[in-house]
Amino acid sequence: MEPETLHRLTFKQGCQEGFPIFVGYFPTAMAFGLVCRDLGMRIWEAVLFSVTNFAGSGQFLAANLIGGGALLAELFISVLLVNLRYSFMGAELNRNLEKGIRGWRKALLAHGTTDEVFSVAVLHREPISKEYLAGLELTAYSGWVSGTAVGFLVGMILPPALQLAVGVTLYAMFSSLLAQEFHQKGFMVLAIVGISAALNSFLILQCSLAIGWSFVISMLAASFFGALTTSDSEEVL
Amino acid sequence: MNTFPFLIPILISALATFLVRALPYYASFLDRLPRFLSKSLRLLPIAALGPLIFPGVILDFQEHWYAGLIGILCAAFIAYRKNSIIIPILLSILVTYLLLL
Repeated sequence: MEPETLHRLTFKQGCQEGFPIFVGYFPTAMAFGLVCRDLGMRIWEAVLFSVTNFAGSGQFLAANLIGGGALLAELFISVLLVNLRYSFMGAELNRNLEKGIRGWRKALLAHGTTDEVFSVAVLHREPISKEYLAGLELTAYSGWVSGTAVGFLVGMILPPALQLAVGVTLYAMFSSLLAQEFHQKGFMVLAIVGISAALNSFLILQCSLAIGWSFVISMLAASFFGALTTSDSEEVL
Repeated sequence: MNTFPFLIPILISALATFLVRALPYYASFLDRLPRFLSKSLRLLPIAALGPLIFPGVILDFQEHWYAGLIGILCAAFIAYRKNSIIIPILLSILVTYLLLL
Protein backbone atom coordinates (compact mmCIF):
# COMPACT_ATOMS: atom_id res chain seq x y z
CA MET A 1 0.00 0.00 0.00
CA GLU A 2 1.46 3.35 -0.95
CA PRO A 3 1.79 5.89 1.80
CA GLU A 4 -0.69 8.75 1.58
CA THR A 5 -1.03 11.82 3.70
CA LEU A 6 -3.66 11.11 6.29
CA HIS A 7 -5.74 14.16 7.12
CA ARG A 8 -7.47 14.57 10.43
CA LEU A 9 -11.13 13.57 10.32
CA THR A 10 -13.39 16.58 10.86
CA PHE A 11 -16.75 17.24 12.53
CA LYS A 12 -18.29 18.09 9.15
CA GLN A 13 -17.15 14.82 7.66
CA GLY A 14 -18.70 13.02 10.60
CA CYS A 15 -22.03 14.77 9.98
CA GLN A 16 -21.92 13.93 6.29
CA GLU A 17 -21.23 10.28 6.89
CA GLY A 18 -23.90 10.25 9.59
CA PHE A 19 -26.63 11.45 7.25
CA PRO A 20 -27.49 8.02 5.78
CA ILE A 21 -27.73 6.73 9.35
CA PHE A 22 -30.12 9.59 10.16
CA VAL A 23 -32.32 8.54 7.24
CA GLY A 24 -32.29 4.93 8.40
CA TYR A 25 -32.95 5.70 12.06
CA PHE A 26 -35.82 8.13 11.59
CA PRO A 27 -38.53 5.65 10.51
CA THR A 28 -37.35 2.98 12.95
CA ALA A 29 -37.53 5.53 15.76
CA MET A 30 -41.02 6.48 14.55
CA ALA A 31 -42.01 2.87 15.07
CA PHE A 32 -40.56 3.12 18.56
CA GLY A 33 -42.56 6.29 19.27
CA LEU A 34 -45.70 4.42 18.20
CA VAL A 35 -44.88 1.53 20.51
CA CYS A 36 -44.36 3.91 23.46
CA ARG A 37 -47.70 5.58 22.83
CA ASP A 38 -49.27 2.14 22.66
CA LEU A 39 -47.87 1.37 26.11
CA GLY A 40 -49.44 4.52 27.52
CA MET A 41 -46.35 6.68 27.86
CA ARG A 42 -46.42 10.44 27.54
CA ILE A 43 -44.47 12.05 24.75
CA TRP A 44 -41.71 13.32 27.03
CA GLU A 45 -41.27 9.83 28.44
CA ALA A 46 -40.90 8.37 24.95
CA VAL A 47 -38.37 11.06 24.02
CA LEU A 48 -36.51 10.63 27.31
CA PHE A 49 -36.37 6.90 26.53
CA SER A 50 -34.58 7.55 23.24
CA VAL A 51 -32.39 10.32 24.66
CA THR A 52 -31.08 8.21 27.54
CA ASN A 53 -30.96 4.79 25.84
CA PHE A 54 -30.19 5.43 22.14
CA ALA A 55 -30.27 1.71 21.41
CA GLY A 56 -32.40 0.20 18.65
CA SER A 57 -33.28 -3.36 19.61
CA GLY A 58 -32.37 -2.74 23.26
CA GLN A 59 -35.08 -0.10 23.50
CA PHE A 60 -37.68 -2.21 21.75
CA LEU A 61 -36.86 -5.05 24.12
CA ALA A 62 -37.07 -2.77 27.14
CA ALA A 63 -40.43 -1.38 25.97
CA ASN A 64 -41.67 -4.92 25.45
CA LEU A 65 -40.61 -5.97 28.94
CA ILE A 66 -42.01 -2.82 30.56
CA GLY A 67 -45.31 -3.43 28.77
CA GLY A 68 -45.31 -7.02 30.04
CA GLY A 69 -44.80 -5.84 33.62
CA ALA A 70 -41.31 -7.31 34.06
CA LEU A 71 -39.36 -6.75 37.27
CA LEU A 72 -36.62 -4.13 37.23
CA ALA A 73 -33.96 -6.83 37.70
CA GLU A 74 -35.27 -8.75 34.71
CA LEU A 75 -35.28 -5.55 32.70
CA PHE A 76 -31.74 -4.64 33.72
CA ILE A 77 -30.24 -8.04 32.89
CA SER A 78 -32.12 -8.49 29.62
CA VAL A 79 -31.15 -5.04 28.33
CA LEU A 80 -27.56 -5.58 29.45
CA LEU A 81 -27.36 -8.87 27.53
CA VAL A 82 -29.00 -7.68 24.34
CA ASN A 83 -26.70 -4.65 24.27
CA LEU A 84 -23.51 -6.53 25.15
CA ARG A 85 -22.38 -6.26 21.55
CA TYR A 86 -21.70 -2.55 22.19
CA SER A 87 -18.88 -3.62 24.47
CA PHE A 88 -17.14 -5.35 21.57
CA MET A 89 -17.75 -2.48 19.21
CA GLY A 90 -16.51 -0.04 21.85
CA ALA A 91 -13.35 -2.07 22.36
CA GLU A 92 -12.63 -1.91 18.63
CA LEU A 93 -13.49 1.80 18.37
CA ASN A 94 -11.34 2.58 21.39
CA ARG A 95 -8.33 1.00 19.67
CA ASN A 96 -8.76 3.33 16.69
CA LEU A 97 -9.58 6.45 18.65
CA GLU A 98 -6.98 9.22 18.82
CA LYS A 99 -5.17 9.36 22.13
CA GLY A 100 -5.88 11.76 24.94
CA ILE A 101 -9.70 11.73 25.06
CA ARG A 102 -10.92 11.21 28.57
CA GLY A 103 -13.47 12.12 31.21
CA TRP A 104 -16.97 13.22 30.22
CA ARG A 105 -15.99 13.52 26.54
CA LYS A 106 -15.14 9.85 26.47
CA ALA A 107 -18.35 8.95 28.31
CA LEU A 108 -20.41 10.97 25.79
CA LEU A 109 -18.65 9.34 22.83
CA ALA A 110 -19.29 5.93 24.41
CA HIS A 111 -23.01 6.78 24.75
CA GLY A 112 -23.18 7.32 20.99
CA THR A 113 -21.93 3.86 20.01
CA THR A 114 -24.46 1.98 17.87
CA ASP A 115 -24.14 -0.79 15.28
CA GLU A 116 -24.36 1.67 12.39
CA VAL A 117 -22.09 4.32 13.89
CA PHE A 118 -19.53 1.63 14.61
CA SER A 119 -19.56 0.13 11.13
CA VAL A 120 -19.12 3.55 9.48
CA ALA A 121 -16.42 4.79 11.87
CA VAL A 122 -14.16 1.73 11.73
CA LEU A 123 -13.87 1.97 7.96
CA HIS A 124 -11.34 4.80 8.37
CA ARG A 125 -7.65 4.05 8.41
CA GLU A 126 -6.84 7.35 10.10
CA PRO A 127 -7.17 7.57 13.88
CA ILE A 128 -10.75 8.52 14.70
CA SER A 129 -10.83 12.08 16.01
CA LYS A 130 -13.29 13.14 18.67
CA GLU A 131 -14.73 15.84 16.35
CA TYR A 132 -15.47 13.32 13.62
CA LEU A 133 -17.02 10.79 15.99
CA ALA A 134 -19.07 13.54 17.67
CA GLY A 135 -20.43 14.67 14.28
CA LEU A 136 -21.24 11.12 13.23
CA GLU A 137 -22.93 10.26 16.52
CA LEU A 138 -24.84 13.54 16.84
CA THR A 139 -26.33 13.16 13.36
CA ALA A 140 -27.43 9.59 14.06
CA TYR A 141 -28.67 10.61 17.51
CA SER A 142 -30.81 13.46 16.20
CA GLY A 143 -32.47 11.08 13.73
CA TRP A 144 -33.28 8.65 16.50
CA VAL A 145 -34.62 11.20 18.98
CA SER A 146 -36.64 13.29 16.51
CA GLY A 147 -38.05 10.15 14.90
CA THR A 148 -39.33 9.00 18.28
CA ALA A 149 -41.19 12.28 18.81
CA VAL A 150 -42.67 12.31 15.30
CA GLY A 151 -43.76 8.66 15.58
CA PHE A 152 -45.50 9.43 18.85
CA LEU A 153 -47.34 12.40 17.31
CA VAL A 154 -48.39 10.36 14.26
CA GLY A 155 -49.83 7.79 16.68
CA MET A 156 -52.08 10.45 18.19
CA ILE A 157 -53.94 11.05 14.93
CA LEU A 158 -54.28 7.37 14.09
CA PRO A 159 -57.90 6.10 13.84
CA PRO A 160 -58.81 3.70 16.68
CA ALA A 161 -59.32 0.77 14.30
CA LEU A 162 -55.66 0.99 13.33
CA GLN A 163 -54.45 1.12 16.94
CA LEU A 164 -54.62 -2.64 17.52
CA ALA A 165 -52.97 -3.41 14.19
CA VAL A 166 -50.10 -1.08 15.12
CA GLY A 167 -49.33 -3.55 17.91
CA VAL A 168 -47.67 -5.67 15.23
CA THR A 169 -45.02 -2.97 14.61
CA LEU A 170 -42.57 -4.35 17.11
CA TYR A 171 -42.82 -7.92 15.85
CA ALA A 172 -42.65 -6.80 12.23
CA MET A 173 -39.44 -4.99 12.94
CA PHE A 174 -37.85 -8.01 14.60
CA SER A 175 -38.96 -10.37 11.86
CA SER A 176 -37.54 -7.96 9.26
CA LEU A 177 -34.23 -7.92 11.09
CA LEU A 178 -34.36 -11.70 11.25
CA ALA A 179 -34.99 -11.97 7.51
CA GLN A 180 -32.00 -9.73 6.81
CA GLU A 181 -29.73 -11.67 9.17
CA PHE A 182 -30.86 -14.88 7.49
CA HIS A 183 -30.17 -13.38 4.09
CA GLN A 184 -26.61 -12.46 5.10
CA LYS A 185 -25.62 -15.37 7.32
CA GLY A 186 -27.70 -18.37 6.26
CA PHE A 187 -29.59 -21.15 7.99
CA MET A 188 -27.60 -21.01 11.21
CA VAL A 189 -29.55 -17.85 12.04
CA LEU A 190 -32.86 -19.69 11.64
CA ALA A 191 -31.68 -22.55 13.85
CA ILE A 192 -30.59 -20.23 16.65
CA VAL A 193 -33.76 -18.13 16.48
CA GLY A 194 -35.92 -21.25 16.25
CA ILE A 195 -34.42 -22.64 19.43
CA SER A 196 -34.72 -19.41 21.40
CA ALA A 197 -38.29 -18.84 20.17
CA ALA A 198 -39.40 -22.38 21.02
CA LEU A 199 -37.71 -22.35 24.41
CA ASN A 200 -39.18 -18.96 25.30
CA SER A 201 -42.70 -20.03 24.29
CA PHE A 202 -42.33 -23.22 26.29
CA LEU A 203 -41.06 -21.45 29.43
CA ILE A 204 -43.81 -18.84 29.33
CA LEU A 205 -46.76 -21.01 28.33
CA GLN A 206 -45.90 -24.27 30.12
CA CYS A 207 -43.80 -23.19 33.08
CA SER A 208 -45.43 -19.75 33.58
CA LEU A 209 -41.99 -18.24 34.04
CA ALA A 210 -41.76 -14.43 34.20
CA ILE A 211 -41.10 -12.97 30.74
CA GLY A 212 -37.82 -11.32 31.66
CA TRP A 213 -36.15 -14.44 33.03
CA SER A 214 -37.59 -16.59 30.30
CA PHE A 215 -36.11 -14.17 27.79
CA VAL A 216 -32.66 -14.29 29.38
CA ILE A 217 -32.60 -18.10 29.64
CA SER A 218 -33.73 -18.76 26.08
CA MET A 219 -31.40 -16.14 24.64
CA LEU A 220 -28.35 -17.53 26.47
CA ALA A 221 -29.19 -21.17 25.69
CA ALA A 222 -29.61 -20.45 21.97
CA SER A 223 -26.36 -18.49 21.68
CA PHE A 224 -24.40 -21.22 23.48
CA PHE A 225 -25.93 -23.68 21.05
CA GLY A 226 -24.90 -21.44 18.16
CA ALA A 227 -21.33 -21.09 19.45
CA LEU A 228 -21.04 -24.86 19.93
CA THR A 229 -22.32 -25.80 16.49
CA THR A 230 -20.63 -23.23 14.27
CA SER A 231 -17.06 -24.00 13.38
CA ASP A 232 -14.40 -21.39 14.11
CA SER A 233 -13.87 -20.68 10.44
CA GLU A 234 -17.51 -19.67 10.03
CA GLU A 235 -17.60 -16.03 11.02
CA VAL A 236 -21.16 -15.42 12.12
CA LEU A 237 -20.55 -11.81 13.03
CA MET B 1 -43.56 7.63 41.85
CA ASN B 2 -46.90 6.24 40.66
CA THR B 3 -47.53 9.41 38.67
CA PHE B 4 -44.62 8.46 36.44
CA PRO B 5 -44.65 4.64 36.27
CA PHE B 6 -42.29 4.57 33.30
CA LEU B 7 -39.56 6.81 34.62
CA ILE B 8 -37.63 4.28 36.74
CA PRO B 9 -37.77 1.45 34.14
CA ILE B 10 -36.56 3.85 31.43
CA LEU B 11 -33.63 4.94 33.57
CA ILE B 12 -32.78 1.35 34.58
CA SER B 13 -32.67 0.41 30.91
CA ALA B 14 -30.51 3.46 30.20
CA LEU B 15 -28.10 2.48 32.96
CA ALA B 16 -27.73 -1.08 31.64
CA THR B 17 -27.13 0.27 28.13
CA PHE B 18 -24.59 2.84 29.26
CA LEU B 19 -22.65 0.31 31.35
CA VAL B 20 -22.00 -2.01 28.41
CA ARG B 21 -21.05 0.97 26.25
CA ALA B 22 -18.64 2.53 28.71
CA LEU B 23 -17.05 -0.75 29.82
CA PRO B 24 -14.61 -1.22 26.90
CA TYR B 25 -13.30 2.33 27.26
CA TYR B 26 -12.21 1.67 30.81
CA ALA B 27 -11.41 -2.07 30.86
CA SER B 28 -9.52 -4.17 28.32
CA PHE B 29 -10.29 -7.74 29.40
CA LEU B 30 -12.84 -8.02 26.58
CA ASP B 31 -10.00 -8.63 24.13
CA ARG B 32 -8.88 -11.67 26.09
CA LEU B 33 -12.10 -13.63 26.59
CA PRO B 34 -12.06 -17.36 25.80
CA ARG B 35 -13.06 -17.97 22.21
CA PHE B 36 -16.23 -19.89 23.03
CA LEU B 37 -17.48 -17.14 25.30
CA SER B 38 -16.82 -14.29 22.91
CA LYS B 39 -18.49 -16.25 20.12
CA SER B 40 -21.57 -16.84 22.28
CA LEU B 41 -21.71 -13.17 23.20
CA ARG B 42 -21.59 -12.13 19.56
CA LEU B 43 -24.54 -14.42 18.83
CA LEU B 44 -26.72 -12.88 21.55
CA PRO B 45 -28.44 -10.26 19.34
CA ILE B 46 -29.49 -12.98 16.88
CA ALA B 47 -30.62 -15.30 19.67
CA ALA B 48 -32.64 -12.41 21.13
CA LEU B 49 -34.86 -12.21 18.06
CA GLY B 50 -36.65 -15.49 18.81
CA PRO B 51 -38.02 -14.58 22.25
CA LEU B 52 -38.70 -11.03 21.07
CA ILE B 53 -41.17 -12.38 18.52
CA PHE B 54 -42.58 -15.54 20.13
CA PRO B 55 -44.95 -16.16 21.80
CA GLY B 56 -45.87 -12.44 21.94
CA VAL B 57 -46.94 -12.07 18.34
CA ILE B 58 -49.50 -14.86 18.80
CA LEU B 59 -50.72 -14.02 22.32
CA ASP B 60 -51.20 -10.28 21.70
CA PHE B 61 -54.00 -10.77 19.20
CA GLN B 62 -55.92 -13.33 21.26
CA GLU B 63 -58.65 -14.97 19.16
CA HIS B 64 -57.16 -13.41 16.00
CA TRP B 65 -53.81 -15.10 16.72
CA TYR B 66 -53.08 -15.54 13.00
CA ALA B 67 -53.32 -11.79 12.26
CA GLY B 68 -49.96 -10.84 13.71
CA LEU B 69 -48.34 -14.03 12.46
CA ILE B 70 -49.34 -13.45 8.85
CA GLY B 71 -48.38 -9.79 9.23
CA ILE B 72 -44.82 -10.58 10.28
CA LEU B 73 -44.44 -13.27 7.62
CA CYS B 74 -45.21 -10.61 4.99
CA ALA B 75 -42.72 -8.27 6.66
CA ALA B 76 -40.01 -10.94 6.70
CA PHE B 77 -40.61 -11.78 3.06
CA ILE B 78 -40.26 -8.16 1.91
CA ALA B 79 -37.27 -7.51 4.19
CA TYR B 80 -35.54 -10.56 2.75
CA ARG B 81 -35.98 -9.30 -0.81
CA LYS B 82 -35.35 -5.62 -0.13
CA ASN B 83 -32.90 -4.17 2.35
CA SER B 84 -35.49 -2.03 4.08
CA ILE B 85 -37.21 -1.97 7.47
CA ILE B 86 -39.91 0.65 7.16
CA ILE B 87 -41.71 -0.79 4.11
CA PRO B 88 -42.04 -4.27 5.68
CA ILE B 89 -43.33 -2.70 8.90
CA LEU B 90 -45.95 -0.60 7.10
CA LEU B 91 -47.02 -3.58 5.03
CA SER B 92 -47.41 -5.79 8.08
CA ILE B 93 -49.54 -3.14 9.82
CA LEU B 94 -51.77 -3.01 6.75
CA VAL B 95 -52.06 -6.81 6.49
CA THR B 96 -52.76 -7.19 10.22
CA TYR B 97 -55.32 -4.38 10.05
CA LEU B 98 -57.17 -6.10 7.20
CA LEU B 99 -57.13 -9.44 9.01
CA LEU B 100 -58.55 -7.87 12.16
CA LEU B 101 -61.48 -6.22 10.35
